[in-house]
Amino acid sequence: MKALAFLLCLLPGVALSQAQPQAQQSLDAAGWLKKIYQASQKLSYSGTFVYRQGERSESSRITRVVDGNLDMEKLEALDGVRREIVRRGDEVRCYLPDSKTVKVDLRSKHPSFPALVPAKNALLSDQYTVSKEETARIAGYDCQAIALKPKDDLRYGYKLWADMATGMLLKARILNENGEAVEEFTFTQLSIGGHIDREALKSSFAAQSRQWRVENAGVAPADTGRSGWSVSPAIPGFQKVIELKRLLRPSRRVSQIVYSDGLAAVSVFIEQLEPRQEPVREGLSTMGAVNIYTRQLGDHLVTVVGEAPAKTVRQIADTVQYHRP
Amino acid sequence: MKAKISALMDGELEEPELGQSLRALRDGGEALETWRRYHLISDAMRDTQVLSSGFSARFAERLALEPTVLAPASAPQPERKNHAWVAYSAAAGLAAVALVGSLTFQFFGPGDQQAATAPRPQLATTVSATVPMPGAVNDYLFAHQNYSSRGTLQGVAPYVRTVSDPARPR
Repeated sequence: MKALAFLLCLLPGVALSQAQPQAQQSLDAAGWLKKIYQASQKLSYSGTFVYRQGERSESSRITRVVDGNLDMEKLEALDGVRREIVRRGDEVRCYLPDSKTVKVDLRSKHPSFPALVPAKNALLSDQYTVSKEETARIAGYDCQAIALKPKDDLRYGYKLWADMATGMLLKARILNENGEAVEEFTFTQLSIGGHIDREALKSSFAAQSRQWRVENAGVAPADTGRSGWSVSPAIPGFQKVIELKRLLRPSRRVSQIVYSDGLAAVSVFIEQLEPRQEPVREGLSTMGAVNIYTRQLGDHLVTVVGEAPAKTVRQIADTVQYHRP
Repeated sequence: MKAKISALMDGELEEPELGQSLRALRDGGEALETWRRYHLISDAMRDTQVLSSGFSARFAERLALEPTVLAPASAPQPERKNHAWVAYSAAAGLAAVALVGSLTFQFFGPGDQQAATAPRPQLATTVSATVPMPGAVNDYLFAHQNYSSRGTLQGVAPYVRTVSDPARPR
């Protein structure tokens, strides 16, 4: 009898300790995407991750602080050419000490990406089959894997691993139509929350870069349709996200139109060729998950860049047309 | 023959007449002359803009003068900097119709997995002889990265591919 009473005493405790994992286990794949998205909006962290593409791999240190109005992030490449990227709010600064250049750009103010906003998860499921996969341990965190398999061969597949407790994305892999990884990000060391030194968010080139050349993209909204350009990507689910004018280099004025299916994004750049410029090499370039297709259209250059298969990028490039307005 | 050419234009000809007519066209002579005349009549009736006389001859001449690069190895290589690239080259302008072989500018080291596993689309062997500045590619990547949906999930992490330098010896 004593033993039974003892067991009963324990029960509430048992129930409580199980409540947490059970709540997580009951999250379905869509619920997990929502959790990952929310984590990406609110978590502060610092860590080191490895970017892999083919046999190439590079380590970077990343620090992110979200605190009240402050939302800052710094990326520091630990391998290869020195460079740092600092984001404060929507402004992104890329410090390139070798060329003594700072590139300044604005991150999209567009409300993130439609399909990742939980209420619109349905959009994503038109193009991808979302499923909950195995659990795994990454950089000391117990993670849940989520797979997004494309329903056609016009987009890549994704596999995401998120921390069970916080939803923090620990690993992301992009897969081609054969299921082979085209690129991968993995944290090798990560601490979530806790005290993060604000100094760590400043660029180590902050002082010396005052003497550097600053290239500001001068991003402004635009209506390319009115200037006679049309792009009609006949790819299911791809919708126009934003349209703008910007400087690619101090002298190169381009129009940029971004399309997305909610996960993959493709940018179409249109620019006028310099008079008497050398002929442009048309064709496709591949770098990890990113494909770039370039073609010349009259005296204009069309460049399509996106984390989508080569044929998708090319197909979009081929629909670019000009009609005298 | 004239009746057959007319039917051919309307897409109404079937084998074996189709093959016969096409062969006749290829041999030139009366059949080809008829073909041209009928098209001219049809264009005039539809009020389509008529090409100046001798256009096809001049076109063929210009096309023959287009540079043809048949040996990828001898194509100019860009500087070893900035080339995270397995860059495929497709056709320039008119030559795009000649989809024959595959031409790969492989900037990776030999046996690189990326190069080996990357899909190789069918490409033309004809390219214009200049290679553009690969450095410009980073400008596009940087500009694109700001609007990439993956930034939503991974913050600035995807920027690593923007400004990475894969030329570093392994």
